[in-house]
Amino acid sequence: MADNRVLIVGGGPEGVKAARQKSEEGAQVTLVEKFPSLGAERIPRDRLIRSDEGFINPDLDKVRNDSNIHILPYSDIQKVHSGEGAYFARIIQHGLRVDNTKCNDCKACIKVCPVNMLDDFNEGLGFRTAVDFYNPVTAEYNIYKEDMPVCQRSCPLNLDIRSYVGLIADGRYLDSLKTIRDRLPLPGSIGRVCPHPCETACNRQYLDEPISICFLKRFVADVELNEGIEPVYETPEKTHPEKVAIVGAGPAGLTCAYHLARMGYKEIQIFEALPVPGGYLWVGIPEYRLPKKLLQREVDLICNMGVEIQYETRIGEDISFEDLRKDHDAVFIGAGCHKGLKLRVPGEEEYEGQGIIDCVTFLREQALNPTEGKGKLIVIGGGNAAIDSARVGWRMGFDEVYILYRRTKKEMPANPWEIDAAEHEGVILQYLAAPVEILGKDGRATGMKCIKMELGEPDASGRRRPVPIEGSEYVIDAETIVPAISQGTNLEFLPQDHEFSLSRWNTFEIDEDTCQTNIPGVFAGGDVVTGPDIAIRAVAAGRNAAMGIDEYLRSK
Amino acid sequence: MIYEKEKRYIVPFDDVPSPRAEMPEISVDERRGNFDEVETGFPESVAVTEAKRCLSCRRCLGCALCWAECGVEAIDFDMPDEVLELEFDDVIITRGQDNAFSAIDPAWGYGTYADVITDLQFERMLSPTGPTDGRVVSPLDGEIPARLAVIQTEPEGDENHLLSSVVLGVNESILALDRTEGLKITLISPLSPDFKERFLADAEKIAGLSMVEGKAGSVQRSGEGDPLTVTYSHEGADHTETFDLVVLLTKPVLSSETQALSKKLDKPVQ
Amino acid sequence: MCTGRVDPAMVAGAFKKGLDGLMVVGCYFGDCHYITGNVQAKAKMDITRRLLKHVGLNQDRLAFRQCSSGEAAVFVNLVSEFDQRIREIGPIGGGGDPVEAPDIFRKMETAEAVLAGEKIRWVIGKRTPFLESGNMYGEVFTQHEFNRAIDMIIVEETEVQEILRELREGARSVKGLAQALTIPSERVFKYITALKRKGMIKLDKVSDRTPYFQIIPQEG
Ligand SMILES: Cc1cc2nc3c(=O)[nH]c(=O)nc-3n(C[C@H](O)[C@H](O)[C@H](O)COP(=O)(O)OP(=O)(O)OC[C@H]3O[C@@H](n4cnc5c(N)ncnc54)[C@H](O)[C@@H]3O)c2cc1C
Ligand code: SF4
Repeated sequence: MADNRVLIVGGGPEGVKAARQKSEEGAQVTLVEKFPSLGAERIPRDRLIRSDEGFINPDLDKVRNDSNIHILPYSDIQKVHSGEGAYFARIIQHGLRVDNTKCNDCKACIKVCPVNMLDDFNEGLGFRTAVDFYNPVTAEYNIYKEDMPVCQRSCPLNLDIRSYVGLIADGRYLDSLKTIRDRLPLPGSIGRVCPHPCETACNRQYLDEPISICFLKRFVADVELNEGIEPVYETPEKTHPEKVAIVGAGPAGLTCAYHLARMGYKEIQIFEALPVPGGYLWVGIPEYRLPKKLLQREVDLICNMGVEIQYETRIGEDISFEDLRKDHDAVFIGAGCHKGLKLRVPGEEEYEGQGIIDCVTFLREQALNPTEGKGKLIVIGGGNAAIDSARVGWRMGFDEVYILYRRTKKEMPANPWEIDAAEHEGVILQYLAAPVEILGKDGRATGMKCIKMELGEPDASGRRRPVPIEGSEYVIDAETIVPAISQGTNLEFLPQDHEFSLSRWNTFEIDEDTCQTNIPGVFAGGDVVTGPDIAIRAVAAGRNAAMGIDEYLRSK
Repeated sequence: MIYEKEKRYIVPFDDVPSPRAEMPEISVDERRGNFDEVETGFPESVAVTEAKRCLSCRRCLGCALCWAECGVEAIDFDMPDEVLELEFDDVIITRGQDNAFSAIDPAWGYGTYADVITDLQFERMLSPTGPTDGRVVSPLDGEIPARLAVIQTEPEGDENHLLSSVVLGVNESILALDRTEGLKITLISPLSPDFKERFLADAEKIAGLSMVEGKAGSVQRSGEGDPLTVTYSHEGADHTETFDLVVLLTKPVLSSETQALSKKLDKPVQ
Repeated sequence: MCTGRVDPAMVAGAFKKGLDGLMVVGCYFGDCHYITGNVQAKAKMDITRRLLKHVGLNQDRLAFRQCSSGEAAVFVNLVSEFDQRIREIGPIGGGGDPVEAPDIFRKMETAEAVLAGEKIRWVIGKRTPFLESGNMYGEVFTQHEFNRAIDMIIVEETEVQEILRELREGARSVKGLAQALTIPSERVFKYITALKRKGMIKLDKVSDRTPYFQIIPQEG
């Protein structure tokens, strides 16, 4: 029969039952369960019982003794993919750390173990200790060791937060910074702008409030800066001769270069279209959130390791992508998402550059060649880019700054603290409104026709879908209109007949482990893979790619 | 490991609660017309105090005291994780044992009152190998309850769940009554037609259990040391009654990992 | 005697007997005849002070100071300063401490039991490897992380030792223990189930609706 090797995920009653069935049908079954043991005996849920027949699970013993069923307890599926009619799975089975063939259940260990935790087997009704039996019937023991605390687990880069925060508590600031730099070469920048998923996960929030992890990172970076310490990043003596090209000096590209340099690569060249490094850290995130002097210094420290950045060199224009590949042993693409998406309303094309300017261009211009603003500014969108555009506009001197968003504050994807800051500064937020048409006169935009919205049913993302209220159109005047809907990739630098596999969002598809694209030797990471995302995820991708590139080059 | 992830036990350290440090900022007036950095950074003393709030979350300390105590040298810290690369012809995804339940409405007092427990916790309590050796006691004070309520928390939704959860509630009641002298149980749930047809007659015969077709509203405690007050509607009228222990019939949900896997492989969860 | 040999349990024992202040004076760091005895001593006294403070003693009553054997004047100064501070605080449990007499003596007895216990002694002994070379998994602790580990033991062991002391006097219920010890009853419940799981206590009897537990004497 065709299905003879079956993977069953989950060792609860349903999984156990399915395993038995499949085995009876003649299949070779692998049963994967996260918990160290298969389920306990359960109370039936499909019929009424007598008081003497409470806990049963006839399948359980059969499954345990069935030679066609391979049980993998304490296991996680790390990766699966399907192809050519088969499934491939990478399964990690965690070590119990107790040899249960030797253990005689004397309980000496659990009497002394100093660590209490809620016992999952008993649904948290009582404690178990870190070393303890996980199933009272089988009396099998394990040691519960988390591979990392939640903060670290939820950080895309898996920064060792517990250590670096602990080092700050001990007053060892520079050691703390060193711990951070083990993975992250941009602590001062990321420590200012990161939306900190670690804090969202931090266990302390269940007692009062999460630890201010992100700003503590900034603090140690500032200590070094304020004390005028110029660190030297070490590179190993043993070097590698291969040449690596990096497209884009954003956080992904910079981090990739940093880690390659730390591995001993000497020939690393970054090609950057703009005259400045940092990608969106420079031309997206405004100065008042991230001073460019500080970013420049963090980039300089990377360059001091021998990394070369060629500015104002756009791949696809100044150097062709084919030439780049020919001249280098490996290429990393960290080109980001630098195309502002269009509103797609009448008048937008007509007045482009004449009062209509997308947020990517608006913020980049302001970062590179600051000008003053006057009159009324309307920003359209609800993300961080919209908030940044508005707060920049307010600083440029626009008399009135509005943000137009089609849902309500609750649904806004921007960080709530950013929204608050914008409101605090006097930016006016108009919710439940969307543009219908750009109005203009004599070749210049003069305002916008909008329509009021109301919230309907939730959509796939769980947010309630805005629907226009018929006949509620109104007109607002404005000198400048900045659409900040979203950004997309610009892959025009690739040759027409390229063979990269791309997603339907026009982003690269890569191998999760190595960041390699379907073309060997070409790697990609950051926003160009994920779509508009956050900087720390781009940093993590840059690091993964560096390891992937190293693996590729060393096995060549 | 649902309790480790979602309801993790944290030692009540002496420094809890203490407020999180606030980031100092320049005033709004100072910001107009320039691009000066808004947030000015933590002063050293603030940073150190904030860092000291970290709980240094960690379970096994790796102190090896168990290893020193173990007479048969069964403890092995170096026991490795094994990585298996396997190929299959088919995959079946089931919910597994990660008993995640849909977020329990705070109105039920779960997490606030130790004597409000879930049906799954009650199942463990009734198990002879469970933490109380099968005895029904209140986790609030270890006393044996005289009045127990079993209430449906998610009466809306699918019929299957409504049926199986009430059957579980009745079965748990059968076991609890058998083991506990003088116990009275009230089970409050909008009983499904299916349940009424197949099980209600038998359930009503159980001595000590009263089946209330109705809808529970909330669980509260008026003052410390008082029993729990349950409000519910039954036959068009509102009632309040007091209990020593409340068991919530919960609705299991799929863990996000299972959902992600199901989506990725485009396979339903069985 | 090297200050490194001062036993924390002895310190708590002395306060239990009514001592008002204790100053441990060691050599300067680097001067230790046993190389790190004084470093260990300071670490031990710091931990002891954390525990004594946790159970309700004014932390100034336990001091660790340093001077060398040749510095008579320094020594005199240290002693008179400490003496003055103790006089300010007054006699133990007499208002200068968060907990007053006679309760404070019971608390000191608990502290002595905690400090004599295997858990804290073992982890204190692991301090140097934890901070320098790492635990069994090679994880190096910061001082702060080590303090958290110690504080975890302090908070829980104080409660557990109080429960065990009561149980040694006879069978007790969860409710009774909670009332006698002013520990939240749901925590007592968790400790009792844990002690039962470990085979350290067992059910004594059920009277009315109340289960009572008794201690199982441990060997060794
Ligand atoms: C306005 C705004 C605010 C943001 N705020 C935050 C925030 O507060 N916190 C946060 O974490 N994230 C924020 N982000 C997102 C974050 O900046 C990005 O996720 C991150 O910078 C992506 O890094 P990257 O390296 O993938 O790409 P980018 O930073 O976009 O860098 C790509 C680089 O490649 C260059 N490039 C592109 N094509 C070529 C080519 N053909 N040849 C040569 N060079 C090329 C570009 O010029 C650019 O310098 C914000 C983004 C924007 C737009
Ligand atoms: S308290 Fe927060 S920051 Fe500290 S280790 Fe725990 S989860 Fe991480």
